[in-house]
Amino acid sequence: MKITFLRKLVLAFSTALLFVYSIIYACSDNGDWGIFFDSNFTPEAFVDQSYTPLFLSSDFFYSNDYNQFDNGHVSRFNDEIVADWSTFLDGKIKNEDLKFFLLDSSATTVDNLYLNTSKNAVVKNWATKINLKDPKTKDFIEFLYVAQKIETVSTNNSWDYEAETIKRNDPKWVTAIANKYAKTKDSFLKNRYWFQVIKSCFYNNMYDSAVSFFQKTENAVPKNTLYYRALSYLAGIEYKNKNYAKSNYMYSQVFDKCPSMRIVAAYCFHPQENADWNQSLAMAKTNADKAALWAVQGYYADEHVAIEKIYDLQPESQHLDYLLSRLINLRESKGAFYETDKKVIEKYKKTNDSLAKIDLELVARIATAEKTSKPYLWHIAAGYLDTMNRNYAQADKNYDKAANKLPNTILANNQLRLLRFINNLNKIKNITIENQKTIIADLNWLYYEIAKEKTENFRYNNATNWSKTYLSDLYKNQKNVVMSELFARNQDFYDNETNLQAMKTFLSKENKTALEKIAQNSYNVSLADINNYQAVLATYQNKIPEAIAFMQQTDSIQHFQFYGNPFNGNIKDCHDCDHVTYQKRKYSNIEFLNTIAEMQDKVAKKEAVYSNNLLLANAFYNITHFGNGRTFQEINIIGSGSSPYEYKDKTREMITNCSVAKKYYEQALAVASTDEQKAKCIYMLSKCERNEYYNNKFKTVKNYWEMDDDGINFLAWNGFKKLKTNYSKTKFYQEVIAECGYFDMYVSGPRN
Amino acid sequence: MKKAAILLIFLFFSCQNQDQPDISFYYWKTIFKLSSSEKIILSDNKVTKLYLRYFDISLDKYNQPFPESPIHFDQKPINLQIIPVIYIKNQVFSSKNLDISDLVSKTITFINQINSKNKIEIQEIQIDCDWTLNSKENYLKFIEDFKQVSDKKLSATIRLHQIKYFKQTKIPNVDKGVLMYYNMGKIAADSGNSIYDKKIANRYLESLKKYPLSINVALPIYSWAIHSRENKVLGLKNKFAVSDIKKDTNFVRISAAFFKVKNNNYKKGTFYKKNDLLKFEAISSTDLLEMAYDLKQNLKEVPNEIIFYDLDDFNTNHYENNIFTQVSSRF
Repeated sequence: MKITFLRKLVLAFSTALLFVYSIIYACSDNGDWGIFFDSNFTPEAFVDQSYTPLFLSSDFFYSNDYNQFDNGHVSRFNDEIVADWSTFLDGKIKNEDLKFFLLDSSATTVDNLYLNTSKNAVVKNWATKINLKDPKTKDFIEFLYVAQKIETVSTNNSWDYEAETIKRNDPKWVTAIANKYAKTKDSFLKNRYWFQVIKSCFYNNMYDSAVSFFQKTENAVPKNTLYYRALSYLAGIEYKNKNYAKSNYMYSQVFDKCPSMRIVAAYCFHPQENADWNQSLAMAKTNADKAALWAVQGYYADEHVAIEKIYDLQPESQHLDYLLSRLINLRESKGAFYETDKKVIEKYKKTNDSLAKIDLELVARIATAEKTSKPYLWHIAAGYLDTMNRNYAQADKNYDKAANKLPNTILANNQLRLLRFINNLNKIKNITIENQKTIIADLNWLYYEIAKEKTENFRYNNATNWSKTYLSDLYKNQKNVVMSELFARNQDFYDNETNLQAMKTFLSKENKTALEKIAQNSYNVSLADINNYQAVLATYQNKIPEAIAFMQQTDSIQHFQFYGNPFNGNIKDCHDCDHVTYQKRKYSNIEFLNTIAEMQDKVAKKEAVYSNNLLLANAFYNITHFGNGRTFQEINIIGSGSSPYEYKDKTREMITNCSVAKKYYEQALAVASTDEQKAKCIYMLSKCERNEYYNNKFKTVKNYWEMDDDGINFLAWNGFKKLKTNYSKTKFYQEVIAECGYFDMYVSGPRN
Repeated sequence: MKKAAILLIFLFFSCQNQDQPDISFYYWKTIFKLSSSEKIILSDNKVTKLYLRYFDISLDKYNQPFPESPIHFDQKPINLQIIPVIYIKNQVFSSKNLDISDLVSKTITFINQINSKNKIEIQEIQIDCDWTLNSKENYLKFIEDFKQVSDKKLSATIRLHQIKYFKQTKIPNVDKGVLMYYNMGKIAADSGNSIYDKKIANRYLESLKKYPLSINVALPIYSWAIHSRENKVLGLKNKFAVSDIKKDTNFVRISAAFFKVKNNNYKKGTFYKKNDLLKFEAISSTDLLEMAYDLKQNLKEVPNEIIFYDLDDFNTNHYENNIFTQVSSRF
C-alpha cells in the first residue's frame, strides 16, 4: 500500500505560472552544494534532523542530494507503518512479507486473500507462509483490502486525463469504512479505520463529512502520527475553503507536534494577508501554540523576529535551534566569508554591519541568559557573530563558554574548533613568527586531516579557501610574493622571471618553517613543473639546448610520451587520427627535444637538409594548438583547453603562433629539389597562413559565442594558389584534392 | 479610366488587408473560462485562433516526464480555432535516458484525451521549450517524431538567442516558428525591464533576416512585480499591479517602478520583509508600437499572425481595445 499524502492539494498549490519563466523561486540545479561549500556553520551539528529541509537553502528546501522539493509524499511513513503493524501482528507475518503487503502489494493479491474462499494459487502460496486463519492476520488482510480501495483515488496515473478529472470512490466504500470504524473494538485497528474515514472523505471531496467526523471523534483518538496526518487533511480542506487563518493554525500544530511532517506543514503553511496571520495568532491559546506559529512562519519570514517571539514565549523551544541556524547562515552569507568581489562587499558593508550587530545583540542576550535548551549553541552562534563583528576577544569568551557544555560529538567539536580557528586567523593582521603559532595546528587539521575524517555534513571547505586567500593577501601586503602565491595561485605569477626564480629558490631551500611547509603542501606546482614550464618556453623560442637542460630537471615529466608522432606532418590537422595511427617509435618529451637538437645539428652540417628542415617544421607545428602534440604544452603552469579562448591572452599567442614551423617549412622549400617536395612545403605553409588568418580574425573575440559567422570557411591561401598553378601534376596535389575539401572546392568551384 | 482607378484602389486595400497579420492570443490559465470582457476583446479584434496552454511537461521525482497542471474547461470554446500549446521544461530534454518516442506518444495521447473529452478539434499543435545546447539533440528528435506521429501542423516557440545563434542551437523541423519577443533581460532588482529592453532587442533584430524558418510574432502584454531582498530576486509576482499596494501603508513608493517595504507584512500570500523591494515591470502601448515598427524593419516577411501573451482581464485592462489592431497594422 502506498501512502499518498495531500497530493492533490500540493499539486493545486504548486500550479505554476509557467511559459514566461518556469522557475519562480531562485532555484539552482545542483542541490545545496553552493551553500554547503560557502558556509562555516553546520546546522546538522546542533539541530534535530526533522528540520534539515528547513535549513537555509538556495533552493526551496535544503538538501544535499539534488532534491529541492519534498519528495517523500509516498514514502514518508513507510517505516513507521511497517513497525506499527509488526508490533500489532507480533511476529505472525515476517517483516519482509509485511513490507510486501504494506508497501508493494498489488490489489489483486489482497483481493484474493480477502475474498477467495475456494483456495486458488495465490491463497495456497501465501498459506504456506502465513496463517490466514489467525484472527489478527485476518484483521490485517481486511484492513488492507479496505485501505487499498481508498488508495486508488489518492494515487493517479498522471498521463491519464480522465483520471485526473473524475477519479472518485464508489460512496459505498466510504460508508463501509465508517461502519468498520464504528464496529471495531480493537484500539489499534480502530485508530487506523478512523484515519481511513478522513482520508476517504478527503479524496472523495466529501469535505464537510471529513470535518464533522473529525470534530466528533478527535478527542477519542490518540495524538499520534495518524492524528496529525488527519489534521493535515483538515488543514488542507480549510485552505481550499479559504479559511486561511484556521488552516495555518492547524499546520502550525502539525509542525510543532509531528516531526516527520515538518516539511509538509512548512510547505503548506501559507498566510495570505496580515489579517489572517493575526487571526491564526489569536487562535493560539497557549504559549507553545503561539511559539509553533512563529516557528513555522519564521521559515518564510523573518528569523530574527521569530526568534525574539519564540524566546519570549517558550525559551526552551526546540524550534529556536533551526531558526538560529538559518539566521547565522543568512548572516554569514552577507559577509566577507562568501563574497569575493570587494566592490560588492563595500556596497553592502554598511547595511550588513548594522544587521549583523542587531542579530548579535539578540543572540548574545539569549546566550547570556542561558534559558534555552542548548545554551552552548547560542554561545557558539554569538561567538561567530562576534567574529563577524570583529569582536575577537568577545568571541573567544563565548567559545570558551560553549566548550564547557558542548555535546561530545565529532561534528560539534569540529564546529567549535573551526570557528575558533576563523576567529584566531582574523585576529592576525600582520604575520609574525610569534602569531603564526596560533594557527599552525588548525591549518594542518583543516587542510590535511579533516578530509580523512570524512565527517558527514561538516562545512569546512569555505574556511579552507577563505584562509588561503586571507593568508595570501596578508603576505601580499607584506611583499612576500612567494608565500602569497603559495596560498593562492595567481595565473600571471610565472610571467615574471623574478617571481619564477624566487619560487625556485624557495622550493629548493631546506629548513622551512611550519607555515612554509603548510603553504608548500597546499600548493600544486612543484619545482619539476617550473622546470617543465621553462623548458616549454625555451622550446617555443627555439632555444633547444636550454630547453633540454630544463626538461632534464622535470623528474618523470620528461618521460611523458606524445600520443602521436610529433615529427609527422599531414594534410589534415587531426589529432585523433594521428594518435591512433601506428607509430614505430614513440617519443617522450626529452626524446623529442633531443631529436630536434640532432636534426638542427644535421641541418647545420648540411646533412639531409630538406628532410631535416621538414621534420623540424612538423615538430614545431605539432606543439602548437593546431598540431598533434598539444600535451607538450598542456602542463600545470600553462593549463589546457579545447579552444584557444580557454587560455589567457599571453599563452594563447604563444601556443597558436606557427612562425617557427613556418621558418623551417620555408627553409625546406628553399632546398627542395623535386616538385613533390616543393608541393608539400607549399601546402604546409598554407596551413600556417590559415592559422595566422584565424588567429588575427578572432584576436578580439572573448568567447566562442561572440564569433560572428561571416560565412568564410577558407580563403584562397597563397599556398593554394601556388599549388594549383605550379604543382597540379604532382602526386601530392592529388592527395591534397582527396583529403582537403577546401582545396578541392578552391580548385573545382563549389558543388551543389 | 474610372473603373481602373476603382480597381486599383480596391486592389490596394485588399492587398493591405491581406498583408496585415491576424491577431490572436495565448490563454495561459489552468481553467478555461472567458470573462465577458475577454470575449469582447476577441470579437472586437476578429480573433479566430486561441493558443491554449494544455499542460506543461516536467520531470517527476523519478526523473520521468509527467503532464503538469492540465487544463480544465468550465466553458466550451465557441467560434475559436484552438491550438494546444504544450510547455516542455528544458530539464525534460536534458535528462538522461529520455525515451523520446514514448514521450511523443504519451503527449499526443494526452492531447487527444483533452480534445475528445471537451469535443475540440484541432489542426495545429504548438510546442514551447527553451531548449539549450545540452538538450538540443533530444528536443530536435522529439519535434521530428512528434510531427510524424501527430500528423498535425506543428509550430514551436523560438527565443531571440535561438534566432541569432541558429547555427549552434539549430532549427526545429516545424511548419512555423513563433518569435517570443519578450523576456529579454535578466530578472533583477536593477532599473532595467526584463520583459522588453530595446537595447537588448537591437542586438538581435538584424539576425531575423537571416533566420531560415518562417515565423509569427508573440508580443507581451503581461506585467509583473519583481520581489527582491538585498539585491537578490526572491520571486515574481504575477497579476500584481501598482494599484494593489498604492494605498497600503506597508509599502512606500520610492520611484516610478519601485516600492520599498516599510514593515514586515503579508500581501496576496507573500511575506514582505522590511526593506524588501518590489519592482513593477509592464509594457506600454508605445512599447508595443515600437516593437512592431522595429520588427517590421527587420523581418524578411510580414508575419501571418501576431499573438499576444496573454489573454487575461488583468493584462488587457491596461490597454485601449484598439491597441491590438494598431500594433498589427504596423507590420
